[in-house]
Amino acid sequence: MGWKGVFVIMDLSNLKSILPMLLQGCVLTLQLTVLSIVFGTIIGIIIAMMKLSDNKIISSIGNFYTWVFRGTPLLLQLFIFYYGFPAIGVELTAFSAAVIGLSVNAGAYMAEIIRGGILAVDKGQFEASKALGFTYGQTMKQIILPQAFRVVIPPVGNQFISMIKDTSLVSSLTLAELLRNATDLGSSSGNPWPPYIVAAILYLLMTTVFTSIFGVVEKKLSVY
Amino acid sequence: MNMIEVKGLSKSFGDLLVFENLDVEVKKGEVLVIIGPSGSGKSTFLRCLNNLEVPTGGTVIIEGEVLDFKDKKHVRDAIEKMGMVFQNFNLFPHMTVLQNVMEAPLIVKKENRAEVEKKAKKLIEKVGLGEKYDAYPSKLSGGQKQRVAIARALCMEPDIMLFDEPTSALDPELVGEVLSVMKDLAKDGMTMIVVTHEMGFAKEVADKVIFMDGGKIVEDGKPEDIFTAPKEERTKAFLEKVL
Repeated sequence: MGWKGVFVIMDLSNLKSILPMLLQGCVLTLQLTVLSIVFGTIIGIIIAMMKLSDNKIISSIGNFYTWVFRGTPLLLQLFIFYYGFPAIGVELTAFSAAVIGLSVNAGAYMAEIIRGGILAVDKGQFEASKALGFTYGQTMKQIILPQAFRVVIPPVGNQFISMIKDTSLVSSLTLAELLRNATDLGSSSGNPWPPYIVAAILYLLMTTVFTSIFGVVEKKLSVY
Repeated sequence: MNMIEVKGLSKSFGDLLVFENLDVEVKKGEVLVIIGPSGSGKSTFLRCLNNLEVPTGGTVIIEGEVLDFKDKKHVRDAIEKMGMVFQNFNLFPHMTVLQNVMEAPLIVKKENRAEVEKKAKKLIEKVGLGEKYDAYPSKLSGGQKQRVAIARALCMEPDIMLFDEPTSALDPELVGEVLSVMKDLAKDGMTMIVVTHEMGFAKEVADKVIFMDGGKIVEDGKPEDIFTAPKEERTKAFLEKVL
């Protein structure tokens, strides 16, 4: 590679033609991220409660869940939902396979984060709630989870940022998210550099925006 | 009428015996103060009355009703008649003073919000914190926190108030404001069981004093008898140390 290589890398002459497709890819990337974080949080709360249960069977199911989904590659999990399930008669669209795979995986990580958040709440809070007549469910919903929520905001922010990047794995499920579109544009134009660089900038933009959103939320929640 | 009757109550954690075979009666409107050295089982005894600990033996009878610790719903209903104040306040840090006091009547008793708010404000006023409705607990002194905790317990309209060393975590200059709220409460006829190291309070307010040591009731009686003419050597030794 000579000095001409710089021109190959910096060649933004066709920016106008590649940008719309990359932005479309961003939309899908964000949809996948938000959906799987929302479902992942719901799964995470349930699994965290199971892991904290006094019932040995319930807590081992929770432990088994994190063991499996944290201990195997996300890409493998995505392949199982997309390629494996049709073989047993469950047809999933690429989009639903992606959302399910990402959520199930995020759920394992969120469970650990939420469990840590619940354990960080002073046990006096449980006692005060019990003495006031709250049921276990009311205690969790009104007293413990809102306090755990504040503790978990920074790690959940991390998880969210990881998720934005992890969605790029679903490019191998033929989904036209940001990385997939960048790759396609690169191979059709013969120069992969411009779409990849623009994609990298777009990923950075998205992670930066969400980092600052989480920063604001964290600040808002520290009123007490 | 006995508000609380405890018969042969025992509690152990594994091999560790905390207390054994306690018999205690508290009548309506009576103030019972439990004193004794640390580790004598006083706090655990109090916690056994409202299901924070499950006793290993004996019975607890609240207003004539035997507590069945195996029946969660029944125990919850029974302990709704009791308010508890903790050494470490245990206010809900994510709620304002007003929300702290309103939460249980709203959620547990499903009372009407407007009425709960009126009642809560009156109680917060009564403990002298009328200007602090919207403050978060982190902005309050220990004495203020404990007074909010008392208001929070009272908002459930309990028949009995349990106090577990309510002033032990406070700076000395803040003890008085909490004790004075408790004295007012006693004057209003509230049935109270108080575990405390405040002997002055015990002398002045208690109808009955129990001295516990080593998981047993060593001596009980009227405060004037216990404090001026204790019968037991152990009681004498303890009082000499703390008075």
